[in-house]
Amino acid sequence: MRGFRTLLWLEHRRSWIWAVSLLGSLAFWAWGIKQVRVMDVGERLGIRAGLLAMAAAIGVVVLCLMIGRIRAETRHGQYQVLLLTPPRGYAHVGARYLYAATVAFVYAVTIGFLYWWIMALAGIHLDARTLLELTLAAPFYASSVTVLPLLAWTILLMVFISAYRISGPGWVPGTVMILGTPFAMRWLINGIVRISYSLPGWRLFANAPAALIERFGQPDTEEAFQMSQIIYKGVPVEPLLIMLALTGVLLAIAGRIWQEVEA
Amino acid sequence: MLARLENVTKRYRTAEGVRDLTMDVPAGEIVGVLGLNGSGKSTLLKLIAGLLFPTGGSITVLDGSPRAARSRTVYLGETDTLWPWMTSDDAERFMVGLYPDFDARRYRELLDGLQVPSRKTRAMSKGERGRLRLAMALARNAKLYLLDEPLAGIDLISRETILTSLVREWHTDETILLSTHEVAEAEGLFERVIYLRDGRLALDARAEDLRERGKSVVATFKEVLS
Repeated sequence: MRGFRTLLWLEHRRSWIWAVSLLGSLAFWAWGIKQVRVMDVGERLGIRAGLLAMAAAIGVVVLCLMIGRIRAETRHGQYQVLLLTPPRGYAHVGARYLYAATVAFVYAVTIGFLYWWIMALAGIHLDARTLLELTLAAPFYASSVTVLPLLAWTILLMVFISAYRISGPGWVPGTVMILGTPFAMRWLINGIVRISYSLPGWRLFANAPAALIERFGQPDTEEAFQMSQIIYKGVPVEPLLIMLALTGVLLAIAGRIWQEVEA
Repeated sequence: MLARLENVTKRYRTAEGVRDLTMDVPAGEIVGVLGLNGSGKSTLLKLIAGLLFPTGGSITVLDGSPRAARSRTVYLGETDTLWPWMTSDDAERFMVGLYPDFDARRYRELLDGLQVPSRKTRAMSKGERGRLRLAMALARNAKLYLLDEPLAGIDLISRETILTSLVREWHTDETILLSTHEVAEAEGLFERVIYLRDGRLALDARAEDLRERGKSVVATFKEVLS
């Protein structure tokens, strides 16, 4: 446990500038959002929500870059030091991942609060339950099905390349993994879509329609139908469960390969 | 026997690091690993440390695989391996947290003896960083120390300080494998010398036996490897 704590501390010392810059960048996004001055309230809300979605996507890329700096460490010899420390590969991978995942979650929660803010700017007043769902449940769900498995995939890719770097052409497994990923993802997404809603959905934002109707009035029939479908069915829990399991598997493989890496 | 290598070969993508190497590393010796550039010295030490895996043959360190023995061996690589933000205090926290055999008191004494400043490593000279890394390595109570070119690129005074510390900190039940190009300066340390040429063992001799034959380690180096 002491070793894991030390690895977490090391990870923080190595990455805090990335983490602070990423979280600090949301202040810039908030400033940008405030500058959107389209007259139509609905359109303004849409543009602002789109900007936040863009911030989320950029955040995912930055987090993947942050966690995937193994190549630079290999060049500078620090990877050697880590490989020779007593904690097993699982601890190294786990500490690195836990730090990035925590930053990702804090980032997602902050974006959740920014969504709440842009809704308040648009005159939509959410109740306490919806606010909690927006700032905790939704970030957890969105992170779990997107950024968390992506971070695990990135760390596995880097460890995989490192394992073959010295005694073999490291670019071969790297290329195979990168080229194979879209196919694997398509297969995975098809599978998830096929089994989605086998289990009862997770009902989020049940109280949101009332707030939207209060602000914008009754939607037309088609919109009302779509909204009620989403709210009634909730979000599917299968992607959440599958992606969390997949994350665990990717991390376990990365931890095992770490034991075989040369430096 | 601390370590045993049997018919060890390490092949890289385009070259061979060591070829069919068989040797024993007994307890309680300071062993010089000598050879020209590219002779396989670093490969040998990395294989024993568990940083590399042999392509052929077998290596046993402290009755197990080299990787499994990593908590009881010390490897000091030839490159600067510390994070630029690290101070000597950070290095202590790192070592205390990860190595149960790390002696913080001994580390502090070594820092004083080696005159390591307390600033970040990015602000240290190469010699100061080398001395810090040596203090980190020698403050562990390990059985086997693998020191790869700890004197490389370091000024004369620092080299002398390092060699003095090596002698002072060495305990008779510990083994040090020291690879260096500064053969003349380190000659007095060695009890045994391994000469490598093109990845093969050219000569494995006790320094005392060489001296009895009227040859120094340096003279034998020239004779065997030229």
